[in-house]
Amino acid sequence: MKIDIAIIGGGAAGLAAAIAANDPAVRILVIEREEQLGGILNQCIHNGFGLHVFKEELTGPEYASRYMDAFYEKNIEFMLHTTVVDIKKTNDFLVTVTSLEQGLQKIEAKAVILSSGCYERTRGSIMLPGERPKGIMPAGSAQRYLNIDGYLVGKRVFILGSGDIGLIMARRMTLEGAKVLGVAELMPYSNGLTRNIVQCLHDYDIPLYLSHTVTNVKGKDRLEQITIQEVDSKFNPIDGTEKIFDVDTLLLSVGLIPDITLFDSLSLIKHPVTKSAIVNQFYEANISGLFVCGNALHVHDLVDYVTIESEKAGKNALDYVLNPRKPSKQVHEIKLNENIRYVVPQMIDFEYFDVPIELSFRVTKKMNKGIFKLIQNDQIIMTKKAKNLAPAEMEKMSLNPNVLIDSSPLTLILEEVEA
Amino acid sequence: MYDYIIIGSGIVGTTIARELSKYDVKILVLEKENDVANHQTIANSAIIHSGHDPKENTLKAKLCVEGNALYEKMEKELHIPLLRTGAFVIAHDAEEENTLNDLYERALRNGVTEINFYTKQEALKLEPNLSDDITKVLSLPSTKVTYPWEVAFACLENAIINGATFQKDSEVTQIKKTGEIFEVEVNSKEIIQTKSIISAAGVFSDTVAQMIEKDVQYQMKPRKGEYLVLDRKVKGFMKHVIYPLPTAKGKGVLIVPQVHGNILLGPTSTLQDEKELASNTKDGLNQIREDVKYLAKNIPFDQVIRTFAGIRSSSTYDDFFIQESKEVKNFFHVAGIDSPGLTAAPAIAKYLVTEILNAHQLKKNPNFNPIRVKRDAFYHLDDKVQQELIKENPFYGNLVCKCEKITEAEIMETIHGPLGNDTIKGIKKRARAGSGLCQGGYCEGTILRIIARETKQPVNKINYYSKNTPILVQETKVKP
Repeated sequence: MKIDIAIIGGGAAGLAAAIAANDPAVRILVIEREEQLGGILNQCIHNGFGLHVFKEELTGPEYASRYMDAFYEKNIEFMLHTTVVDIKKTNDFLVTVTSLEQGLQKIEAKAVILSSGCYERTRGSIMLPGERPKGIMPAGSAQRYLNIDGYLVGKRVFILGSGDIGLIMARRMTLEGAKVLGVAELMPYSNGLTRNIVQCLHDYDIPLYLSHTVTNVKGKDRLEQITIQEVDSKFNPIDGTEKIFDVDTLLLSVGLIPDITLFDSLSLIKHPVTKSAIVNQFYEANISGLFVCGNALHVHDLVDYVTIESEKAGKNALDYVLNPRKPSKQVHEIKLNENIRYVVPQMIDFEYFDVPIELSFRVTKKMNKGIFKLIQNDQIIMTKKAKNLAPAEMEKMSLNPNVLIDSSPLTLILEEVEA
Repeated sequence: MYDYIIIGSGIVGTTIARELSKYDVKILVLEKENDVANHQTIANSAIIHSGHDPKENTLKAKLCVEGNALYEKMEKELHIPLLRTGAFVIAHDAEEENTLNDLYERALRNGVTEINFYTKQEALKLEPNLSDDITKVLSLPSTKVTYPWEVAFACLENAIINGATFQKDSEVTQIKKTGEIFEVEVNSKEIIQTKSIISAAGVFSDTVAQMIEKDVQYQMKPRKGEYLVLDRKVKGFMKHVIYPLPTAKGKGVLIVPQVHGNILLGPTSTLQDEKELASNTKDGLNQIREDVKYLAKNIPFDQVIRTFAGIRSSSTYDDFFIQESKEVKNFFHVAGIDSPGLTAAPAIAKYLVTEILNAHQLKKNPNFNPIRVKRDAFYHLDDKVQQELIKENPFYGNLVCKCEKITEAEIMETIHGPLGNDTIKGIKKRARAGSGLCQGGYCEGTILRIIARETKQPVNKINYYSKNTPILVQETKVKP
């Protein structure tokens, strides 16, 4: 099969990219491993989606269905229950897919958009000490078992990590009759959105233990007991602060990592913080014609941001197919100071910088007041004041080409403003 | 009435079962767990050592060197994976170089034939990620790595097709001997009769021996080792097994490339009283991270996907304890099989059977078939074979474990296979589904449903491992 754009993953990112890339001149194919489109939104039955894009509050499945309707209307081709096994690149991409119905198939594509989302960090990746009973699992897996399959994974629950999925699951498991005894967060601040702390923990009297972590788990077959401890500023547990909880379940909400395993066979240049591709303003990786967007590029707070980013990636992929750009020599990485963890896009191609670029970035620490400065040639070309900065909230800045002095590299810094 | 009951289906019990199945005897392997190879065999470094480390003139030295060679034959007959890594033992200064020279001499005396030194430059050329502080390297090309529980499966499957019987969930609770006949009580109820007993009960060897001997000559000293597992993305970071110089506590923390591309870092070594408690500790995991820095640089600690711990079956006896009981005729101890137990296992089996043959005349099994057939994982086959298999069975087309590329057909084969299993961990052990980066985060639910469908059980009855570990605890929705 020969197509123009292969979109890997039919969740929020893939659907938005497909709709945006749709054009009578190109053939697009969305490849989805699940039996339905919509991705993780299907298991996110809580509300709070769509405030930016639709100016109303939707549940995950509702948000997904709006994009699915638009997608079906355009008659874009898609494959369900089909997994991408391998991607190779010569001039074009050779994508190998497999399914129960069709077996192994090869697809040639001029461009690839990777919108395959992210996976959850596990017990192993955080090196959680203790015995090895069953009953410790990522919060998203528990969410899927509960909301898709209709089963609780436990009755007495503790949650490690205050990421949004953990908070949402604290409420969700409570509503289904489980007892959630608390949430421990290693950092002195929550990693979830403020609204989730209020609506999922405070409203249900679930305690949040900041600067705490789980230091031991016990249980031969099933989890029986966990120990949490307060940590010092270097995250070392403090003796004498042990609290013990008898629980049968420990959910982990300790981070999401972009799922780019498929690129293992390509020579992709990765960013150490986002753990995904380094992209330019077209969301194009160092391999030309390969676009990455949504949580496969960096983990977003809101699906609305995924949609907006992926629409751009989709349009850019269409452009790439219709009017390929010549390789540019004016590509520079955006430099950051220590207060900013990462920025996406990481690279700017100044030769093709004609429309505003949206910079998405995260700060490294909590700050009441701060000022972002964009610097070129030692001159400040843009500033933005900000309040209540936190690593859990993604910051954005729109960069207009007319503020540039020339095509020399940019530096983005954050300075703290004393109250 | 059995001729031999083998207690334990770890690497030792299963290799013995296979070796004995070459003779015309009735064999029963008893396992207290719900699966083969659940303790020491599933939680070790997976190395087939060359034999540079054990003291001269010990059974450990003799059987390690012999066992290493036997793995080459087992690879062909049993279709087990072997990764020929070779190993480097590393010295950092003149004093350590002296010890390295001693090890070289010891290796020669132990019968290791392939052995040589590398200078720092030569070693760094072969392994650029070795520490820059090394001064000299002892190279052991015959060191290899296997997939230990696959070896146990292979040996037991082969023993079974040659007539042996396997019974899991069967804990030996009492042994009596009346005349020449042993009565073995299982799970405090069933009594099974046998003429001989071979105890390969690992860390419970002394417990089993005490059921029949008044004066057991050894005591088990469980010794825990903790490990970190790096994702197979790191494949190539280190191609050889890397050893520091051995200490009184053992071989130290190692870097071990695994057959599927992962790299193991570990083990630690701590004595403990509990025989089965294999928990990870903050101190242990930190120690691994510190100790490996002595061996290598640029270690990709951000690629840790799992931690685990194993209990070595060390004993108070200074060597492997492989002999017939001095008190009770036809009761054989195979105890204290700590490192290099995995390497030595096939040689232990031969040594034990030779001992038995010295006392008893055993007739050869005329139908013995040494071959165990196993196909490579689907995604290791070439395109044409894959297409043919999919045509025969479309379930090969459904990829279930994306990280390790395991298909639905392979999971079904595993459930119904010769040592079939209906738990998530059992499938993981056999087919590797859930062993990768996401650790089953994505595929566990799918595997659960496949097991339920194939074994005709409700999904909430499927266990992770033992009877008390269902994944789905309570149904919330009332189905119309």
